[in-house]
Amino acid sequence: MNTYKFYIRSLYLSCVTILMLGFSSCQIDEVLDPNGPSLQAIINNASRSDLQLVVTGAESLLRKQLNFYYFSTGIIGREVYLFTSADPRYTGELLGRAESVLDNAGFYGTRPYSGRYITIRNTNILIQAVTNNAQKLSLTTEEINGYNAFAHAIQAYELHLALNMQYQNGIRVDVADPDHLGPFLNYDQSLAAIQSLLTTAATELSNAGSTFPFKLSSGFTGFDTPATFRLFVKALAARISIYQGDKAAAATNLGESFLDVAGDLYAGPYRPYSTSSGDQSNEIYRTPNQSEAFLAHPSYVNDIEPGDDRISKVLARDTLKLDDLSSTYDCVVYPSLSSPISLIRNEELILIRVEARIGSNNTGAVEDLNVIRNAHGLPNYSGGTDDASLVDELLKQRRYSLYAEGHRWVDMRRYGRLSQLPIDRPGDDVWQELPRPVTEVQ
Amino acid sequence: MKKTRLWLLFVLLISGGWVHAQFSASGTISDDEGNPLVGVTVTIKGTTIGTISDIDGKYKIDVPTSSATLEFSYLGYTSATYVVTSGASMINVSLSEDVTRMEEVVVTGLASSVKRSNLANSVASVPASEISGITVPTTTEAALYGKFKGVNISSNSGAPGGGMSFKLRGTTSINGSSQPLFIIDGIYLDNSSIKAGLNVVSKAQAGGATTNQDNPSNRLADIDPNDIEKIEVLKGASAAAIYGSRASGGVVIITTKRGTSGKTSVRLSQSVGVNTILNPQGVRQWTEERVLGSNFASKIDLYRQSVANGQIHDYEDELFGNNGKLYNSRISVSGGNDQTQFFIGGTYKNEEGIVKNTGIVKESARLNLNHKFNDWLDGSVSTNYIHSSADRGFFNNDNTGTTMGVALTSTPSFAQLLPDANGNFPKNDFAASNFLETAAKITNNEEVNRFIGGGSLTAKIFSTGHHELKLLLNGGADYYNLNTTAIFPNSLQFERDGNGLNGVSAQGSTKNLNSNLSAFLVYSHYANSGISSRTQLGVTQENFENNFILGTASNLVGSQTNLDQSGTRDIEQTRLIQHDKGFFGQEELNYKDKVIATVGVRGDKSSNNGDVNKFYFYPKASVAVNLHEFMDMNSDNLNQIKLRAAYGQSGNFAKFGSKFTTFTSGIIDGQPGVEIDNLLGNANVAPERQKELEFGVDIGALKNRMLFDFTYYIKNVEDLLLEANVPWSTGFITRVTNAASLQNKGVEIGLDYQVIRTTDFNWNTRIGWWKNKAEVTKLLVPSYTTGGFADFLGQFRIKEGHSPTEIIGVGNNPDADGYVVYGDAEPDFQMSWFNTLTWKNFDLTFLWHWKKGGQAINLSTLLFDLGGTTHDYDDVDLDPNHVIGNGPYRVSQIGVNSDVMIEDASYIRLREIGLYYTLPKTFVKDVNLKLGFSGTNLINIFKYNSYDPEVSNFGSDGLSTQVEVNPFPSSKRFDFHIIADF
Repeated sequence: MNTYKFYIRSLYLSCVTILMLGFSSCQIDEVLDPNGPSLQAIINNASRSDLQLVVTGAESLLRKQLNFYYFSTGIIGREVYLFTSADPRYTGELLGRAESVLDNAGFYGTRPYSGRYITIRNTNILIQAVTNNAQKLSLTTEEINGYNAFAHAIQAYELHLALNMQYQNGIRVDVADPDHLGPFLNYDQSLAAIQSLLTTAATELSNAGSTFPFKLSSGFTGFDTPATFRLFVKALAARISIYQGDKAAAATNLGESFLDVAGDLYAGPYRPYSTSSGDQSNEIYRTPNQSEAFLAHPSYVNDIEPGDDRISKVLARDTLKLDDLSSTYDCVVYPSLSSPISLIRNEELILIRVEARIGSNNTGAVEDLNVIRNAHGLPNYSGGTDDASLVDELLKQRRYSLYAEGHRWVDMRRYGRLSQLPIDRPGDDVWQELPRPVTEVQ
Repeated sequence: MKKTRLWLLFVLLISGGWVHAQFSASGTISDDEGNPLVGVTVTIKGTTIGTISDIDGKYKIDVPTSSATLEFSYLGYTSATYVVTSGASMINVSLSEDVTRMEEVVVTGLASSVKRSNLANSVASVPASEISGITVPTTTEAALYGKFKGVNISSNSGAPGGGMSFKLRGTTSINGSSQPLFIIDGIYLDNSSIKAGLNVVSKAQAGGATTNQDNPSNRLADIDPNDIEKIEVLKGASAAAIYGSRASGGVVIITTKRGTSGKTSVRLSQSVGVNTILNPQGVRQWTEERVLGSNFASKIDLYRQSVANGQIHDYEDELFGNNGKLYNSRISVSGGNDQTQFFIGGTYKNEEGIVKNTGIVKESARLNLNHKFNDWLDGSVSTNYIHSSADRGFFNNDNTGTTMGVALTSTPSFAQLLPDANGNFPKNDFAASNFLETAAKITNNEEVNRFIGGGSLTAKIFSTGHHELKLLLNGGADYYNLNTTAIFPNSLQFERDGNGLNGVSAQGSTKNLNSNLSAFLVYSHYANSGISSRTQLGVTQENFENNFILGTASNLVGSQTNLDQSGTRDIEQTRLIQHDKGFFGQEELNYKDKVIATVGVRGDKSSNNGDVNKFYFYPKASVAVNLHEFMDMNSDNLNQIKLRAAYGQSGNFAKFGSKFTTFTSGIIDGQPGVEIDNLLGNANVAPERQKELEFGVDIGALKNRMLFDFTYYIKNVEDLLLEANVPWSTGFITRVTNAASLQNKGVEIGLDYQVIRTTDFNWNTRIGWWKNKAEVTKLLVPSYTTGGFADFLGQFRIKEGHSPTEIIGVGNNPDADGYVVYGDAEPDFQMSWFNTLTWKNFDLTFLWHWKKGGQAINLSTLLFDLGGTTHDYDDVDLDPNHVIGNGPYRVSQIGVNSDVMIEDASYIRLREIGLYYTLPKTFVKDVNLKLGFSGTNLINIFKYNSYDPEVSNFGSDGLSTQVEVNPFPSSKRFDFHIIADF
């Protein structure tokens, strides 16, 4: 009986202790995200090194899902094929095989689209973080202009890629607040808004001192100070002007860009790729002569002038057939996993000057065309010098000079010539634009 | 709170008294055949006084009154009651086997259980004899197919080591998991599926689908089915509310075997078997004309040469034709005395797959101990160590043509892929890889070292005739280290000569630790009025930590596989940390076994919620009425009628990380940067909530030889968390919002019947029939498609008023969304038929399982069609005009009409069959020898045009089951058994 009472007491005490322990430690501590820095921390409490991280992140994001941009524009523009046993859409929907149509949830359109806007989100976070922390970090006006100019230029670039895919659907330009997105602007309004962002960036760059408060990657070598970065911004402005059909503005912008008729055609800023750790490799690249292939459209070789050294952009291979398509050339514009992809380069600027001159200075246009032709081992242009002939020649030179760089489809569309693109199979279609992504429709 | 508790204890303590015996009742307890039964519980009805029978079946109990009713109960036997008086105190009892399992105790609270005949829920329970007694189940889930109602178990692929998804009473979540919570001996079991990093080679995630398609096994597979005593399944919130925030998908409670006092018994068993592909498809038969009319026209010379040399190969057979040997060895020892009982179980499994170099080796060891410290304190310990190593091959979707299944689709039978005399494999000109070389050279291994251990203490704080207060403490931990090794040497066709990444070595390491603790007080009261009550109150705490690290090296140095022997390295880490705390209280009232009512509530809070210290409450209530107890039923034909109703709520957490918006790292040109992630987090995220109402009736007839049960349930899941798409121009892809509700309604009907019962011949049969129907009842975001790859390839659509597993595609007469509904992944109904026949020394058991309806998206056939090698490529039964071959016909429908890819996934299977013969005891002295043969999936009837309609390219992830892309095909198996009991 006594021992009975004893154990009752000891148990009683221990169970009370346990229950008390159970409740006294009842509070749960907040668990911080163990897997990455939080958005709130950067917006509200950024350090200078955080700002650098966001800048570098934005530059890195320029590459996000970019391979799909080149696949879609290249395939619809009949420059390339992508053969893969794993997905029928590259040879089906994108070429409008038989009855098939584009899908507004198809990865070929949605991924490159969302990829561009993720870059834009990162740059908007940069602008917000700079604004919120300017005082705390004692940022100078010049420094603030530097950050903002970078952000605006990148936004303009990415918006333009999105617009190239969406064309007459238009795009949203004002996306600063994810809860209150701006309206869709039509094609012309979108171009104007992009041009205005570039104007803002250029102005900011003129007031950003002699150095940026951040570092850019080797892709911007030669364009990494406010003054030289401005050459890039004006080059983009020239591209937009010519898309707007404003040849005079294009010429003005070219004047402030890095256009150099005698210079390296490949000069310009790039998105670098690498196979080193954590970096991104160029996912357009496919090993030549395999069944998993990034192929040249047969018309590229069929239509090329004899002697044109741009034949080196393709490489002969064993005939490969899929889905009633076939090609005997691989596209080797991006010959390795670490091949950089140009943002805009001198060769395009020369061709923009050609385009700007046609109609007002056809002699100058021919001179510039010859610069391109001679550089590629071709004799001087000998065709007609009327506007129409020159436009034909311009489009041809753009086709070969900017092959597989996302221009052919857009150029043919600008000139209303999509119907001139070659059709491979009866019933195939040439699409005018990619559908507005499903989540934007709702 | 604390004050009330102390007060309650105080009252209880002073109200207790000491009871003196008036006389002792005693006797012997035996079964129908006169064998003594050890461990039978003998209690004085209406009190807590009890004892158990000893090794000879004898019992002795002190009775405090002049007469009493003794209740004899024993697991697996029908209980009996006898009146004893001081004059007639010697009672010998014979118990008969409980065929209908009415007496079995079933869990109803975190610290209590109730016998089935008083249960208000439809809780399924599967005993050991059905889990591992017939065939050799590959995994625990595989042992449950067709064995209880209300479940949809689906194998994701046939790869060794498992990979299954498990849904109880339909889909309960859209984005979150619909998988149940697994509890083993009170321990929260981790059931993650952890990727092996194959994506870097397969690029499966690069195309239309963003979810992982590595198809790893799920970690429940580690548990050895042989150790399991029984599995109880709480199918919906009405029963599972006791597990609160984690119980939305239901709860599967696994109880492992324990020792009993008495002679030490040893069981040795060995099985040897073989498995083969379940449903080979065959390959396309080539003729010159067909070659010339195909993509392979330029290879006509190769074709002619191959025919001339007699080198036409059935590559399906070359790849999947391995007759995998299966060895399973098992030892179990159990015994003990009145104080301490032990159970030891050891299993060694070595099974090959149907693809060369695949298979699983597993060792599992278990030690369970029970100890009675004294008459008021009991303790128990369970420990389990598991080591398993599974080689799973390289299958499922890819975007590089490298997986074995996808490479097979474009390889015609006249290709030459066999290795030469030196073992060098030729290049496959028809695909990116030579799958025979791939099978020979790659490694895709999952190796687990796992320890699961737990213990409990039960202390009777006091016990009088009418009152009893017990304290139950329970705790446990589940720890494992999973190493995944994926090696793709640079000598492979798709890694050499500048292809691929010049060799890949991906090595993952995951550490997982779950731990849980609970403390409960259980107070039982037996009033003279015949009302007994039981009150339980306690606290719980669970912690979950998972740390996943994956190192991926490419550009390997020669044949080296260490991560540092490489030119390029990538590292990925994901951690998960969650702390939950809660309490649980429940009150049960039992009026003379006539009416049994229960109310309870669980409160939970978690670091995973937006507000970490907010309690979320999950109430439950149930009532069972045993009508037969009210009536005077002398009829032998009708023995029990029970009406029951139960209601309960449970929750489901948001995926870890849903409350955060984070940056991921991005490196450019060696400089680190931060990139905003795809997911816009929700800082106020709260759990999903399920509310289930269940009604049923149980009827026992023909001396309880026949038991019929019927259950209807309706469960509503509210506040469903969606990773709803946001306009992508925000720079985010999805955001987590509570934005939908869905409803599951279903019926479960069961019939157990002991058809024949004679001395020599017994036949028991059990039929189950169940059906579930789900509907999205509310959707605050526009309807959207999910899962699969693309609308024209078949996807699931979430749309208000429609089933959440509805499969849509493109085609004629589309609806407002532009889609055509082609089916639903959910079956129309399922039915199982389980039979046990014994004749003298023979036992025959077989289980049929019929799944009627439900569609699957078959993209394997499509890939074979695109590759021009489908087995039925040249048949003309699909084309309405019977002109175009099936292959070209299906290809012509791509983007036009998805109907050809969405197929009926019905099946009828002979899931299990086992025939055993027990040798006469005289054969070997003191050894009970049993020989047997068993088979799994020996008969399969389905129309589905691929290996198996039961498949999931995306594993058990979310809604995306029933999508097929060239999986590891499933197999059927035969085993021969020899079992010796000492």
